[in-house]
Parts: sequence; C-alpha cells; structure tokens
Amino acid sequence: MATLLLPVLRRLRGLPGLPRPAAEMPLRARSDGAGPLYSHHIPTSPLQKALLAAGSAAMALYNPYRHDMVAVLGETTGHRTLKVLRDRMRRDPEGAQILQERPRISTSTLDLGKLQSLPEGSLGREYLRFLDVNRVSPDTRAPTRFVDDEELAYVIQRYREVHDMLHTLLGMPTNILGEIVVKWFEAVQTGLPMCILGALFGPIQLGAQSLQVLVSELIPWAVQNGRTAPCVLNLYYERRWEQSLRALREELGITAPPMHIQGLA
Amino acid sequence: MAAPRSCALWSYCGRGWSWAMRGCQLLGLRSSWPGAPLSARLLSQEKRATETHFGFETVSEEEKGGKVYQVFESVAKKYDVMNDMMSLGIHRVWKDLLLWKMRPLPGTQLLDVAGGTGLAWVLGDAEELPFDDDKFDIYTIAFGIRNVTHIDQALQEAHRVLKPGGRFLCLEFSQVNNPLISRLYDLYSFQVIPVLGEVIAGDWKSYQYLVESIRRFPSQEEFKEMIEDAGFHKVTYESLTSGIVAIHSGFKL
Repeated sequence: MATLLLPVLRRLRGLPGLPRPAAEMPLRARSDGAGPLYSHHIPTSPLQKALLAAGSAAMALYNPYRHDMVAVLGETTGHRTLKVLRDRMRRDPEGAQILQERPRISTSTLDLGKLQSLPEGSLGREYLRFLDVNRVSPDTRAPTRFVDDEELAYVIQRYREVHDMLHTLLGMPTNILGEIVVKWFEAVQTGLPMCILGALFGPIQLGAQSLQVLVSELIPWAVQNGRTAPCVLNLYYERRWEQSLRALREELGITAPPMHIQGLA
Repeated sequence: MAAPRSCALWSYCGRGWSWAMRGCQLLGLRSSWPGAPLSARLLSQEKRATETHFGFETVSEEEKGGKVYQVFESVAKKYDVMNDMMSLGIHRVWKDLLLWKMRPLPGTQLLDVAGGTGLAWVLGDAEELPFDDDKFDIYTIAFGIRNVTHIDQALQEAHRVLKPGGRFLCLEFSQVNNPLISRLYDLYSFQVIPVLGEVIAGDWKSYQYLVESIRRFPSQEEFKEMIEDAGFHKVTYESLTSGIVAIHSGFKL
C-alpha cells in the first residue's frame, strides 16, 4: 500500500501549483506598495522607469515609427510636470471641470455625424476636416500605463487626445514639419520633457531647406503663440464644437502661420 | 476548436545542429490550442484541477492554455531577437549543449516539442500528441514544458511516444543554486527583462509572464521526481549557468 502511495505523495509535493513561501517570491514592482491604480496601469520601480526612459528615447530615435516609444518616454519622464499641469487645470474653472468630468476624445465618444453637420469654420467641422484630410483617427492614442497616479494618468491622456485639436488650432498638417511645429508649441505650453526632447531632436531628420524654414519662421511663430496662449489643456473642446475656429484662435491669441506648409518636407 | 496559427516557441541555432541533422528524421511539434479533455488520472490532481498559476496570477485551468497561447502569439514575431537580447546569445550555447548530449545519428527518429522557429513541423498538443506509441528514439522539449498546463500529462505523452530504450531530454529554466547569483538574476529578470520586452517588442506583459513562469517551475529535484513518476528511468539532470537552466534526461525501458 505504501509503495502505491509514494508516487502520489511525491506528486503532491512536486506540483508546480504549490506556492512557495512569500519571502522567496519577488513581487511585481510596486510603487508605494499599491497594485495597479487604473486599468492598464503597470506599476514600475524607479530603476525600471529610468531604463524605460533611456530605452524608449533610444528606440524612438532609431525607429521614428515607434510612436508607442514616444508615449512611454512621455509617461516615464513627465511625473513632475504633470503635477504642475494638473494644478494649473485645478486653478482654472474650465480646467477643473475637465478634471472632474474626464471627457475622452475617441470615435466612440465623438458624434461624428453631428460634427459633420456643423457650419464651415466651426471648431467641430474644421476638426473633422483635419482628421479626414490627414487621414488620422482619434483612436490611435494608446492608454497610459506607466504613470503612478490615476489623476495624472488622465492628464497625460488628455494631453495626447488634445494633440489633434492643436493641429487644427495651429493649422498644421501631420507631416514631419507640421508635427515638429506642434511639438514646439506643446513644449512651451506644457514643459513636458518628452515634448522638449521631441522638439529638439525631431529636426534631425530634416533636409537643409526645411530646416531653414523651420528655424527662421516656424519655430519662432510656434514659440510666440505657445507663450501668449493660455494653457490649452484648460479648454473644454467638447463644449466648443460650434464655436468659430477664428473666434477661438483670437480668444487664445493664436496668429496665422507664417506660411502654408503642406507642400514642404 | 479549429487549430489556430501555431506559436513559435524555440529557435535553433549553432553549427553543431546542421551537421547532426543530415540523415536524421526530425519532427518538430508546435503547440496548438490545448483543448485535450481531462481524462481521469490521479484523484489528487482532479481535486485541485480547477485553478492553476499563470506567472504570479491565479487562473482557471481552462483559461491558462488560452492565455499562454496569446503570449506566444504576441512574442512570435520578435522571438529570436528577444531571446538573443535577453540572454545575450547564451540561449544558443544552452541549446548546443542539449544537442551535444543527445548526439543524434543518421536514422534517429527525433521529436522536438514546442519547436518554435525550427524545421519541418506538425501542429499538435503536448498533452495529447498526434502520434502512435513507441515511435521516436528521442523526445526533446526546450523552454516549452514550463508553459504546458498539465506538465505530468506532457511527460506521460512523452513516455508513450518513445520507443523502449528511447530518451527524453528537457532543457528548461530552473532554480539558481548560488544565493548571490540568484539575487542578481532576480534583479535582472524583474527589472530589465520586461523593459526590454516593452522597448524592443512593445510588449511588457508577455515578458513579465515569462520571468514569473520561470519562478513557478519546479526545482531540478522536483522536476526529476515528476519525470520518474511518468515512468522514466535513470533520470538525471545537469544544471547550466549556475542553475539558470537545467537539462533533464530520462529513459523509457
């Protein structure tokens, strides 16, 4: 009987399902001891964040099509700046409402039919036109994962989703030159390290002629507008679809671009 | 359930392989969706049957197969690159050592399970192999058995399809035997590997699963006992790289 039982006992001991003492198991990295704070959240240690920041920066430079790496860079380097932005939003009535209600911009939350029916020159209509002409969708923004605070995670998500709105406000296309100009505007507006790095390193891939135009005309224009405009995260765009784009630009102090850059770069 | 795209689970490299392979009948088995119904084995196993581990998570047994499948579906494209980056190419040395141990000759009937980016292949389930009894001279599985939901079933199947005198060989992550190296290994595993996965493959979670599943796998001695329980004899193991991996060997008599 004992000989029959022996393999049973051995098997019970050896089953991989048996948990080992907690001390032996390294836990998933916890920041401040908590688990995930929001859906998609991946808690990371300071070392992991540093490695991610370095790795994502290198990869983004090596392969500019890795937009996910730019997002990761933003999340791992932006904590302090996001706090500043969040506080700025709190102090503004419209910004505070956004923080409260947490609107999201995606094809599921936008009523594209309604936007289509809005008058020409309205923010909503022009935003939709921008999406069509440039063949982009608001759904390509990946969810935040590496920010260890769920309100700040929303702030960076909002910043990402508002990016296309900025293109519309500034009248910039989604080609490389247009993206760099918007990055300069965002860098001045938000101070996010990722925007600053993108603004500084983006131009590396440009030819001499585009670089010339960028440096002499477009960057000064973007910086000027970035400085005079109030914080663009404090705009509840979803409530302003009917507002005329021109009126909104005037309200923000955004001037016309120095030239039409569709054909360049 | 329709057989989905197979998962890549192992890459072959090393000059030793190409000369040994001339003349060998090699069959690689890639895992299909593990849909094998649980047949009555040991009562003790049925009792604990419903829940198991997926890395450090707890999942139902039905779920595990699917979740593992998703992991490998996700990592397949960058599989070889990632293996090289994570192990700094050392995985090729380990696999070469496995080949040295097996010393295949022309005419050897060899089954490699969880064959990954290897040679001629058949789609199947490690827990229920699509082969007759007593068919192969050598059964190998490298970095695959860790991901099987019912390891004991895979071992029993290995025993079944081997000819009498046939050899079972398993190369798998194991337990590090040196405390200092163990700490460095843990640090590297948990701090660096998921980051590498994210940066190179855009996939943190699969590589988090990888390092967790390694910790869940039994030790050299425990696994040896499991192999013996499946009916193998002369079971031995050899630890490599301080026990980061081990090669287990057993014979069907």
